[in-house]
Amino acid sequence: MDALEIEVKALNFYYGQVHALKEINLPVYKNRVTALIGPSGCGKTTLLRCFNRMHDLYPGNRYRGEIIFKGRNILADNIDLIDLRSRIGMVFQKPTPFPMSIFDNIAYGLKLRGIRRRSELSERVERALRHAALWDEVKDKLNESAYALSGGQQQRLVIARALAVEPEVLLFDEPTSALDPISTAKIEELAVELKKEVTIIIVTHNMQQAARISDWTGFLMLGELIEFDRTDKIFTSPSQKLTEDYITGRFG
Amino acid sequence: MTRGLKKNPVDFLFGTLTGIASLSVVVLIGGIFFALLIESIPAIERFGIIRFITTVDWDPVAEVFGAASTLYGTAVTTVLSLLFAIPVAIGIAIFITEIAPSFLKGPIGTAIELLAAIPSIIYGMWGLFTLAPIMEEYIEPFLQGSLGRVPLLGILFQGTPMGIDLFTASVILSIMIIPFTASVARDSFNLTPSIVKESAYAVGATKWEVVKDVVLPYSKLGVFGGVVLSLGRALGETMAVAFVLGNNHQITSSLFDAAATITVSLANEFTEADTDIYLSSLYYLALLLFVMSFITLAIAKLFLLRAERRYSR
Amino acid sequence: MNVERRRKIMSSVALLLSSLAALIGLFWLVFILADVLINGIKGINLSLFLEDPAPPGMEGGGLRNAFVGQLLITGMATVIGVPLGVLGGTFLAEYARGRTISRIISIISDIMVSVPSIVVGTFVYAIMVKPLGHFNGWAGAVALAIIMIPVVLRTTEDMLSMVPWTLREAAFALGAPYYRVIIQVVYRGAATGILTGILLSIARVAGETAPLLFTSFNNSFFSWNMNEPVASLTVTIFQYAMGPYESWHTQAWAASLVITLFILFITILGRLILKWRFGR
Repeated sequence: MDALEIEVKALNFYYGQVHALKEINLPVYKNRVTALIGPSGCGKTTLLRCFNRMHDLYPGNRYRGEIIFKGRNILADNIDLIDLRSRIGMVFQKPTPFPMSIFDNIAYGLKLRGIRRRSELSERVERALRHAALWDEVKDKLNESAYALSGGQQQRLVIARALAVEPEVLLFDEPTSALDPISTAKIEELAVELKKEVTIIIVTHNMQQAARISDWTGFLMLGELIEFDRTDKIFTSPSQKLTEDYITGRFG
Repeated sequence: MTRGLKKNPVDFLFGTLTGIASLSVVVLIGGIFFALLIESIPAIERFGIIRFITTVDWDPVAEVFGAASTLYGTAVTTVLSLLFAIPVAIGIAIFITEIAPSFLKGPIGTAIELLAAIPSIIYGMWGLFTLAPIMEEYIEPFLQGSLGRVPLLGILFQGTPMGIDLFTASVILSIMIIPFTASVARDSFNLTPSIVKESAYAVGATKWEVVKDVVLPYSKLGVFGGVVLSLGRALGETMAVAFVLGNNHQITSSLFDAAATITVSLANEFTEADTDIYLSSLYYLALLLFVMSFITLAIAKLFLLRAERRYSR
Repeated sequence: MNVERRRKIMSSVALLLSSLAALIGLFWLVFILADVLINGIKGINLSLFLEDPAPPGMEGGGLRNAFVGQLLITGMATVIGVPLGVLGGTFLAEYARGRTISRIISIISDIMVSVPSIVVGTFVYAIMVKPLGHFNGWAGAVALAIIMIPVVLRTTEDMLSMVPWTLREAAFALGAPYYRVIIQVVYRGAATGILTGILLSIARVAGETAPLLFTSFNNSFFSWNMNEPVASLTVTIFQYAMGPYESWHTQAWAASLVITLFILFITILGRLILKWRFGR
């Protein structure tokens, strides 16, 4: 039986006057991959960015409703965003290495948390890189600039960076949209592998990808969650007409 | 299309005209160099290069001229003004790009740019009549009483504070270059992709950590270019310092002494030069200034271009 | 938790310091402008604009000669500098678009924008004052024009480059030769931007003092003759401020106020136009 990790309750989100998410209710299960799909502009990325409060970086954004994580509403005002973001990591559409060496990229989050001992840093950097299936490719050039890596390697580096601080949840925002098919396959494999340790929420515009790697799928349209179910159920016998139309490619 | 161009005589004429107009810039910059060089020849022949640069004396009566004192004044005011200006300018750039609520970004940016629009003669007036007395009365005695007592550092603050000195001139100069550095730094900061900043936030970084670890390293080329650009401006600034430096050809360890820069000597002495060698020596100073600024500005441009190229990919 | 607390305090301190930096910038602006306003307003009266200077040390008189001289020199500088700048910019953005020569001239112009203005003064002295044997208004106008050309040239280049290429193609397709396309289509599309750039370049040179010191020099009498020394507000401010008389200082402040208001007005106007036209 799947255990609940996060529960979204009656979530509404506004960009200024624009009502971008409407009354979303959604469970996210522990150690499972949850995919969010839907046509562009449907609000899937907006929803994803609620989980680590990324919207707080910009003025004029407003939440209503609750996202319960570890028994607390993470949308509450008194939530410590720095702590929250170290427990819910994120990987973006494009690889985003920081302007520093490969080692320092991975160690960045650890150093922020006050870990200074070289031996501990090295150990945790190696573990994160192994987890992200990148260790063998970069172990001899840890001190080189992260920009020297290929796009696919950079994306795995970013995943390793997120893993290094041992988050409980990882958010993927179309992580393969800028990658070639081989790199994409590696990232997908990695996501399936990683769910043993973390809960994953992934936004993707690629339905095959959702079908391949996710256990649960939510279909959004125009800011509303149309349907949420087990992935095989969504892709074989959706209960909503809209979902079926989307999946069979009749629009979007 | 190209063939069509050649067939039309008016078009050929217009194209040539624009070409000549654009060459005027090249002709002017070359002309400036050669005119200054030719005018300096008597002084170059008489005083040489190394000797001119290392001679402190500037004595129109004895007709002995050396650039050391003015080069020293130029270097001190430039370096000191950069030291004062850079932290403030970078702070302003951080404020505008990362902190200010959006309704404040525009007005504050404009206000800082207005600071750049105020003519330098106004800075000079204000410096002479308003800032210098404040310096003399309050700030310089205070510095003398505090930092002046520190061993070694103290030699910078000796003498009687008069307000007409290297220190006041550097403060005015720093106010003048803040806007240049700030606006280049702001533009460079803005080149940092927001997705990279977001991913630093997503690892749990604070705002300052994002600025320090991502934005600053990302934009260091551009910021450095901006600093060098400001250096070039400070080197050549005349009127803002002409009022408050005293045009005294000497090298002193104290910042509270009058001094001279190349620009200030030119402004004060050019129309008074009564002998050919005097005028030629002034031209020699102008030539040195031109070459120094040209090199500095070219370096600044190089860095800014590299910064631009790197992020337009 | 302790580490996190320290990081947050660190962050707040750093952000506070940058806000302070912004305040320091604003402080200087307000300080200088208020000072010029308070000191300048005392000297503003009709005779400042309508009378010529009284003999040194005497009360009264005005700066009519300097106002007229300033307009004359700046006006002539504009007449010389703007056509060269606009045509030069046209070459870079149109006929030489994308070619190496265009990039080189563009970079040289950027450097020339920041060449010390006093050096330009010494240059013009060498070519226009020394050979003639006396200071003259034309030399001042040429010195300011030299400062103006690279500014106008670069703005023109930027503004023309922003006109979409498809617009030119549409005109070419009608069989128009390139010069007509430029004059009738491209210039029209970029007119607001170029005019604003010209406006801002006038503001830039109107406040210049150093290049006028040894070119147009100064003249305590009223004169329209550009072959003679011509008075300018900025050089007069310099001379009066350094001079010994209280009445000179008052007039120098008044002139400073007038010139500052003029320049700030043009600068703000230019920015507003750019913002309205390009939304930046």
